[in-house]
Amino acid sequence: MWSLAYGLIALAVVAFVVLYAAAHAPSIKTANLADQLYGAKKWLASNLPSLPKVDSTPRFRTSVNVVRVAEANAAAYDYRTRQWTTFPVYLPVGYRLERVGENVVYQIYLNVTRCRYTALPRGEPAVLYEIELRHSLDPLPWLDVYAAVPHNLTQYYSWLYIYYAAWGRPPAAGLDPIVGADVGFVELVKVEWASVYNAASDTAKLYVAAPAAALYVLLVDYPLKLPLTCPEQIASASASSGSQRSDTPVIGPPSPR
Amino acid sequence: MIALRDVLIFAGLAALAAAVVASLFPAGEVVTPVPACSDCAFKLTGGYWIRQYGDYAALYLGTREVARYGWAYIDGRPLSVGESAACGSAMYLWVFGGAAYVSCDGTPPRFGRDVLNISDFPGPDRPLVYVYVSTDVTSGCGVTINFDGDTGYATVYVYDEEGRLVASRASAIPGSASFSVSKAGVYRVRIHAPPLLDQWHTLTAQIRISDLIKARVFTSNNTQDLRPTTSLKIFDLTSYWKRGYSYVVVRVSPFWWPLYVARPADAFADFLLAWEEDSSGWTFDVLYWKEVWRLTFTQTNIVLTHISSQGGYWHEVYVDYRYGSNQPGVKTLIWTWNKQGPKHNSYTVHWISTTVWLESQDSTMNARASFIKECLWD
Repeated sequence: MWSLAYGLIALAVVAFVVLYAAAHAPSIKTANLADQLYGAKKWLASNLPSLPKVDSTPRFRTSVNVVRVAEANAAAYDYRTRQWTTFPVYLPVGYRLERVGENVVYQIYLNVTRCRYTALPRGEPAVLYEIELRHSLDPLPWLDVYAAVPHNLTQYYSWLYIYYAAWGRPPAAGLDPIVGADVGFVELVKVEWASVYNAASDTAKLYVAAPAAALYVLLVDYPLKLPLTCPEQIASASASSGSQRSDTPVIGPPSPR
Repeated sequence: MIALRDVLIFAGLAALAAAVVASLFPAGEVVTPVPACSDCAFKLTGGYWIRQYGDYAALYLGTREVARYGWAYIDGRPLSVGESAACGSAMYLWVFGGAAYVSCDGTPPRFGRDVLNISDFPGPDRPLVYVYVSTDVTSGCGVTINFDGDTGYATVYVYDEEGRLVASRASAIPGSASFSVSKAGVYRVRIHAPPLLDQWHTLTAQIRISDLIKARVFTSNNTQDLRPTTSLKIFDLTSYWKRGYSYVVVRVSPFWWPLYVARPADAFADFLLAWEEDSSGWTFDVLYWKEVWRLTFTQTNIVLTHISSQGGYWHEVYVDYRYGSNQPGVKTLIWTWNKQGPKHNSYTVHWISTTVWLESQDSTMNARASFIKECLWD
């Protein structure tokens, strides 16, 4: 009987030692910044089409996770009614995005401040985008810029018109239904860019020289891809092409290439 | 026969012996040592503390050094050399790139600056003010400044070219302030909403004269014979009226008596139009008086007034008349000379822009000028 009591006391002592050691052992887990950053960008990329689109500057300045858009009219061929139609599209011109990981704050601010026609040194016409760029993390290891040149602008807009007809709201060029869904209609061309930092105003400007036929430029902070357009250029291009239209285009399914 | 009892006694004695032996070692030797890793997070319970040295930071358990790092940060702030940091019950430690980030309440360190100024905007207690400006050219040059914000008041001061205060308006925020400048000119506008906003803007209220054919604009006397390139001289009198003169003398030709022009009652801008009908006339002939008209922009309209018609050729004077803001302009004949046709000594165009045509038998002297009122905010 007594020996059983000794045994129980000894067991209690063992339990105490084991529990004490367990409570005071450092608990370890991994914290991978690169993974968190990737996760933040991936979350933003997957939620990009559903972010609110605003066309007023004050709302853009005060909100987070918004896309600034300019509304424009596009001409498309509606092949249910078999006639030409005009419908509104949104042209993305700015982003304010944020996603906080456990140890990383990913923020990116992009705003097209100006764009104008220019000529490349080889004499090709180009559109120079001046994009305000602010980034929460100074190194941008992934930044890549592509220009999306549509094979046929009318075909592109006719494809976008399907979404307008289905949703009843203007689709955003380059963004809807998801970024990269227009792969059959556009060709992505790698373009030259330069980032200029102005220490006096603490702003960084990204200058992108895209081909004149480009519908938008695609900024890639992999895996986040952000299309940005130049509304002035598109307005003038569609105005000039609108007057020439008289034939009926052949619109087939997109052919990926 | 070995009973359960004997097993328990043996295990208990062994554990007692282990506990006694362990207690003889320096504190904490039995717990897992902190591995010197990177990209990992720890929760450390017990007497852990960290000290920053000149070239490294050391994590101690009691008096024993358990790990070394490049630098130590506590709650986002780097420790200075010689500084130590300890927490009460538990210490949370993150290691990234060889540097240690310590937090006592478990708040993880976050990398990345706030470039969206998120902390500046949300919340009703943060004062802010936005300004939207709209201009209206249909009556004078009207400007409406809308203030959007939470609280406060704003004052708008308008100064003319000579620094005189011509208008001041106060508004609560949110609210709006409107003013109208009644004369063409360049105005400096100060928007003052203490302590948030104090900005200066430029308001340019002007008549832009464009689309000139055989016409030139002057701001003072000109008596030269400018044929054949110029048949219409346009004299801008606005600045004289603004300087307070009650009349001006305009010389359009060296051979003709000067024109006395009195100040109009309430003009936004005022022009004298002097036209020559004939390109082949003699140089000592009287010039630029074959048709003399006055074009006055009132606050809302444009008024053309006939002053003089001379010469032997027939003349026709047309203006661009608009029946509505969404209607196209119509080239309307308002005056004829030496021929049948309408003779309006005064003609009013109810719009902000017009075009004047002066035509004669000698079609090489046909002149044209377009006037448009503009109200530009910068």
